[in-house]
Amino acid sequence: MSLTLFYYLAITAIYILMSWSIYIPYRVGQLHFMTVANMAVSAYFAALMAINFAWPFWLVLIAGTLLGALIGFLVSNAIGDAPCFAVVIVGFTFIYLTKTIIENVEAFGGPLGIFSIPKVLSASADNRTLLLIVAYALVLITGFLITRFDHSRLGRAASAIFIDRDLAVSFGVDVKKMGMFLQTWASAVGGMAGVMYSFIMRSVSPNHFTFHLIGICMTMLFVGGYTTMWGALLAAPILWGFPLILPEALQSWNIVIYGVLLIVVLVIKPEGIITRPMVKKIESLLSGKRKKV
Amino acid sequence: MEILIAQIFNGLSIGSIYVLLVTGFNLLLLVAMIIHFSFPVVVVFSMYISWVVMTLTGSVTLGVVGGIASAIIVNMITAPMFQHIMKDRGSVDINATMVISMGMGMVITDILSHTFNQGFPIAFPDALTGNDQGALISVGLVSISRGQVLTLVIGVLFVAFLFWLLYKTRAGRAFRAIAEDPNGAKLVGIPLLKTGFQSYALTGILGGVTAVLMAVLLGSASAGLGDQLGHKVLAVSIIAGLGNLTGGLIIGLLLGILEAIIQGYLAGSWSNAIAFIVMLVVILAKPKGVFGSKL
Repeated sequence: MSLTLFYYLAITAIYILMSWSIYIPYRVGQLHFMTVANMAVSAYFAALMAINFAWPFWLVLIAGTLLGALIGFLVSNAIGDAPCFAVVIVGFTFIYLTKTIIENVEAFGGPLGIFSIPKVLSASADNRTLLLIVAYALVLITGFLITRFDHSRLGRAASAIFIDRDLAVSFGVDVKKMGMFLQTWASAVGGMAGVMYSFIMRSVSPNHFTFHLIGICMTMLFVGGYTTMWGALLAAPILWGFPLILPEALQSWNIVIYGVLLIVVLVIKPEGIITRPMVKKIESLLSGKRKKV
Repeated sequence: MEILIAQIFNGLSIGSIYVLLVTGFNLLLLVAMIIHFSFPVVVVFSMYISWVVMTLTGSVTLGVVGGIASAIIVNMITAPMFQHIMKDRGSVDINATMVISMGMGMVITDILSHTFNQGFPIAFPDALTGNDQGALISVGLVSISRGQVLTLVIGVLFVAFLFWLLYKTRAGRAFRAIAEDPNGAKLVGIPLLKTGFQSYALTGILGGVTAVLMAVLLGSASAGLGDQLGHKVLAVSIIAGLGNLTGGLIIGLLLGILEAIIQGYLAGSWSNAIAFIVMLVVILAKPKGVFGSKL
């Protein structure tokens, strides 16, 4: 497998996970950008543990995911039921603080970051294959869990909160607990993506975890469709791959392209390309059932 | 003690900029019902346009006019886009406007970092900033520049004008009526769409004036400035209570003073970080604002 193909496939998996980490809390209408900070913290944690303490990949992956979940849980105690704007600014602030600490503390490599993160397997080809298998296995597991959640009573409760918070409360839905659960889950996914990113790129730098990353993931989620998990799954490979095939002079304008696309799709089709009715239609077609008249 | 006094004055100047930005943000939130997260990015864009005009023509006056005009034009051009989204207010939530505004911020910031001055920060001429004329008042360690005084005076006057407009005029009553109850305002004959557009024009003027004041006070600008200001403005308006104009005024000034005092004793990036930590603690403790939301 060529290096270009490996990076395309591996980074696509990371983007799918990160877009889902924004999708999960948005089920209750919260834009939880803190997952980018979780990604950064776990990526640096993975790099430091693997280099300084020779922790094995699997242990780092589990610990990095749990670290993301722990930070997400602690913060969610305060903002579990906060309005969307407060959640947004808390996320931005955490990203800014993480970046400032990373850039100013020598142990984290300063503005240059950390290099030479060890391979999981010594042979390069085997290492890449293993990382791809693990990355897509994590995508499958996360996707399966999201599907189960969406089709459960909890998923319906989350939808109720999204549509009408007061009504959901009157039906007995605990808005704070639901917000805390989704934020913790999203932070765990962010942490997991961070560890994978660290081992795939074999280097981490504060420039990787900027507001650009939020912009890209947000475009993938909102262009693909924020009402189902399938939107990000479809949009991530296309949106990440599409600038790569553009002429070199245009490639550096990818953020402008993403921004314009995000605005155009939200103005023309606010729910994004893949919508819930569309998914239900496909599901009924695949299962061979026809709608009863 | 002298350093503290100097920093408090610095803080009041930068605080008045925050107040203008937060007031513009809150006006759009209350009247046009949008969360224009990237309003400060539009302001920074106007700073760049002002710099381009000054560089091309060599005229400060034309630069000032260009900066103000560009803010009004950008606001008015983007207004139909937001109005289109908000006409389906029942089915589309207000968060959609924030996402669109973020998309707008991404586009503007990236264009600024790619095209103007080859992506390098821009510096405004001394004819505008008055840096070549030295300090206006200098007593011991306390040094107050013309830019600081000008920013503070115009900032105070402009905010006073806005409050007069909102609370003493017929147009202001229409703005406040929509903010209080859009359906009730519609029932008594206030045109929602027209008043909404007026709020875009008004915040355009406000944004343009803020851009010029920022150019005078800071003397330079970079593409990333808008994003950082955007975060602070959103944080200030959340801490004050979304849509709370008086709260925004108090918290905006307090943030300016807090930042300036920290900057007097710590390096740049850490001082910003501490200001963000303070804001974070307040938001975590009171996510719905100190003075209460007016939404």
